[in-house]
This record gives sequence, structure tokens and C-alpha cells, in this order.
Amino acid sequence: MSPLLEIKKLGKRFPARHGREPSPWVLQDLSFSVAEGEFLTIVGPSGAGKSTLLNIIAQTDTASAGEILLGGASVTTRDPRALKPGIERRIGYVTQDDNLLPWRSTIDNVLFALEVQGKLDDASRARAEKLIQAVGLAGFETYYPHELSGGMRKRTALIRTLVYDPPIILMDEPFAAVDAQTRTQLQADLLRLWEMGRKTIVFVTHDITEAIALGDRALVLSKQPSRIAAEHTIPIPRPRNVKDIFALPGFAATYEKIRADVQ
Amino acid sequence: MIDATAPSPPVRASRRRTHLDHLLVFAIIIALWSLATWHFGTYWVSSPWAVAIRFVETVASGELLRHAGYTLSEAALGTLIGGVPAVLLPLLLRRHPVVVAILDPFMVGGYGAPKLAFAPLFIVWFGIGMESKVALVVTVVFFIVYFATLNGVRALDARLVQTAQILGASERHVARSIVLPAAIPSIFAGFRIAVPYGIAAAVIAELISANRGLGYLVQNGAMNFDTTGVFVAVLMATLLVQAAISIMNAMEKRLLRWRPPSEPWLETGT
Ligand SMILES: Nc1ncnc2c1ncn2[C@@H]1O[C@H](COP(=O)(O)OP(=O)(O)OP(=O)(O)O)[C@@H](O)[C@H]1O
Ligand SMILES: [Mg+2]
Repeated sequence: MSPLLEIKKLGKRFPARHGREPSPWVLQDLSFSVAEGEFLTIVGPSGAGKSTLLNIIAQTDTASAGEILLGGASVTTRDPRALKPGIERRIGYVTQDDNLLPWRSTIDNVLFALEVQGKLDDASRARAEKLIQAVGLAGFETYYPHELSGGMRKRTALIRTLVYDPPIILMDEPFAAVDAQTRTQLQADLLRLWEMGRKTIVFVTHDITEAIALGDRALVLSKQPSRIAAEHTIPIPRPRNVKDIFALPGFAATYEKIRADVQ
Repeated sequence: MIDATAPSPPVRASRRRTHLDHLLVFAIIIALWSLATWHFGTYWVSSPWAVAIRFVETVASGELLRHAGYTLSEAALGTLIGGVPAVLLPLLLRRHPVVVAILDPFMVGGYGAPKLAFAPLFIVWFGIGMESKVALVVTVVFFIVYFATLNGVRALDARLVQTAQILGASERHVARSIVLPAAIPSIFAGFRIAVPYGIAAAVIAELISANRGLGYLVQNGAMNFDTTGVFVAVLMATLLVQAAISIMNAMEKRLLRWRPPSEPWLETGT
């Protein structure tokens, strides 16, 4: 069976800035694939090009070299106007910035995808309400984004994507802005949801512990121009208890190996 | 129960303060006006008292309101006919920057041209009835609102559009759910400037040739050396502008509930 998502020799350089020498390659020769139902985590230092990579996969930006295959078919384009963000709703994307619509309340932000996809009914509303409960936003449904904390906004952005259930979900450090305790809770919730539906998830983080706790496999990105520096299969069986992840057998060894690869 | 909408004590106190200041400024204006009346004589500058009396009289007889209503309908109709396409055009042309660029010099020309100078021409074309006044208001309102909306559309955060597209929004959804709400503050800024100009344009077109409206009252008063009549008509036009601004403020407050409040000390008392 061919992988669901395949990245082949991907390269990216941004247009040269005015009056300067050509800009460097941010990504170069980057290849990996993601199997259906896999939870892939990607770790890399700040500025490595993690967000750039996800932008290209989600088609909010073009690649400069290489190819991306989705379900075996090429979806690559070099023309910014030919980009299809989310490629027909098959790829969901929880961006690093929350990008909530400031004129919509929490609940209306969460319902946005269902609304534009014509899937708004009692069942989907109930689902949205359940997700709001699950991430601790109950009572804040009618708040506007500027009335929420940074962490609450990120949680809203997270469930806005989970609610319409796209087959592939890209996540860019979704838990970076919350406290350690909430983060562990959200990680546990995410794993629970994932184990129920087995979506394909590509999860970017710079937290090695998080990469181990969540992923089936962890990729390590090198510094610029970044490529895959290492790949680690996480040997910890599921279901995992993220609260005690440190104590589980295999954690310490994996952590050490990944840390050695992250420069 | 706590009423969350009631202003907090310091805000209320500062509002009372603002009202007091308004009264003070009003008193100063009346004083200066009386001084001018005393200095030049009531023949040239009508007294505040005479204006107030005439104002009440003509309101009571219905005459003033009839003329004001006439001017108001011209301004409202012109604002609608000029404003709606001025809002829609930049929204529709968002994906066609080439067309915007082609139109640009003409729009800039239209924006910069002294449109009030067209009033006599419009009267030749459309007659001395309502049409010529509405036409003038349209030309005044259209360009101001067009550029305000265009600015709003251009300032749009591309990432919000991309996010909406990822979530499955079609081009129509993007226009309605992203571009329009994002441009609302700019659109309001446009109307806030355009509406007073529009009312002024209606009055000036009436000045030139009409048999009804506040501009006609001004013209008529001046011809009969009735400065009180002139002042009353101008006062009424000012009140129309104030009312229009109040309505826009209320609408804006409703439509822009989602925005973080501006700095409290920048908030006006109204
Ligand atoms: N629009 C852009 N134009 C030019 N350069 C860019 C642009 N976006 C990103 N870059 C460059 O690409 C590199 C990678 O940026 P990216 O945002 O992908 O990093 P990241 O791995 O997500 O970092 P972080 O962990 O801090 O979010 C940086 O050097 C940045 O300067
Ligand atoms: Mg990033």
C-alpha cells in the first residue's frame, strides 16, 4: 500500500529580498512519507523550517523544488495562484498562529468549517459542544477571540479543525502556549480522540518529550537548509499515559537518542 | 443581578464631565454669537434668540421639517445609490487587481475633482427636481466610500483567507464571511466622512436651483435679507448631520461588537 502522504526531495527558498543576494534554501532535499492513520511528530530547532514545511503541505505556500503526493497523486504546483489550500478539505491545518476570525465568537469559529461545508446539523452542533467541553472552553462560547487568553485561542483553533474531521491533520505547536498541566491534559485528550478515529496526524513541536509522548514515529529536522536528520520509531506501546510518560520503559533511551540528533 | 452593560462609576463620572464641557463650549459659542450680533446689528447677524424662536415656530408649522425631509431624502437616496456600489466594487474586484489598477487613475480623478462644481451641470442635465441633487450626492459619496472600502480590502490578512479556504470556504464564503467583515471598520470610516459631505452636497445643489429643501431656504432667506431664515436653515442642516452621525455610531457599535474597545480616554461621551 502506498503511503497517504509522500514528500519527495522537497526544497524551498523564499524570493530574494530587495537588493540582496538570493535567499538561502530553507528546506532542501527533504523526503519522508506518512502512512494512513499514523501519528507522525516532527521536532526541530526554532527557524528550522517546520512551519514552512507544513505551509507547503497544506498548500498555503508553494514549494521551490520537489514533489508532494497525496494518496499517490501529485498535488505539486509552483504557481501561487494555483494553490488549493487544504486541497479539497482533505488536509486540516492547525497553524502556529491561531488565525481565529476576530468577528466570530468561540462557538461560531468552531462551527465555521461545518457552516461553509454545509454540514451544520444537530449532530455536528452536539459534536462541537462536546469538543468545547473537552478542551475546557465551556462557558466561553459567546466570547470573541480578543476576550480569550492566548491558550484558549489556540484550543479554539484546535477544535475548529477537529470538528469537521479531515482525514489528514497538520498541527504546528498547538500546545506551545499553555501551561504544563493543561498541556498534558490536552495531549491526553488529543490521543484519546485520535485513538477513536485514527486520523493521520503530522504534529510539529520543539518539545522532545511531546514528540515521544504522542508519536508513532518522530522525525528530526536539521538546521537550515533543513532536511531529515534522523528518524525514530517510538517503542512505547499504546494506549500511553502521557502524565507518566517519563516513567514508561523506553522513554529515557528514546529521549537521549533524539536529543543527540537535535542540534 | 449585576448589569454588565452599565458604565462603571469612573466612566459615568467622566461622561458627566464631558456633558458639562459640552455645555460650557455651547455657552461660549452663544456668547460670541451674541457679541457678533451686537457688534454688526441684527440685520447682518441674526441673534441666537431670534433664531431659536424662528426655529421653534417653523418646526411647529411643519415647514422646516418638510424642507429638511426633502433634503434628507435626497442625501439618503444619493448615499444609498452611491454607497452600495462603492462597497461592492472593491469586494468584487478583490481577485482582479489588474482591473483595479486600470480603474485607478479614473477613480483618483473622480475622487480629487471638485464635484460641487458639477452642480450647475447636473441641474442642466437632470432638471431642478430631486434628481440633480441626488446625482451630486452620489458622485460625492461614491468616491469616498470606494477608496475607504478598497483600503479595507487591501489591508485584509491573507492568512485569514487561507485559513477559511482550508476549512472549506468557497470564494463566495470568503467574500461574505471574511472580506466583508474585515472591511466593515474601513467602510464605516468612509461613510462617516461621506455622509456629512453628502448632506452638504444636497444643500448646495438646492442653493443653486430648487424650490424646496434647506438649500432653498438659505437662498430664499438671503434674497429677502432674512438672516434669521438663513441661520435656521443652516442650523437644521447641522442637526441632520448630527443625527446621521448618531445613527452611524449606533450601527457601528452594534456591528463592531467583536472589536476590542478603544482606549477609554479616546471614547466620546455619546
Ligand atoms: N515569508 C517568508 N519570507 C522569507 N523568509 C521566510 C518566510 N517565512 C519564513 N521564512 C524563513 O524561513 C525560515 C524557517 O521559518 P519557519 O517559520 O518555517 O521556522 P520554524 O521551524 O517554524 O520555527 P519556529 O519553531 O520558531 O516556529 C526562517 O529562517 C525564516 O526567516
Ligand atoms: Mg514555526
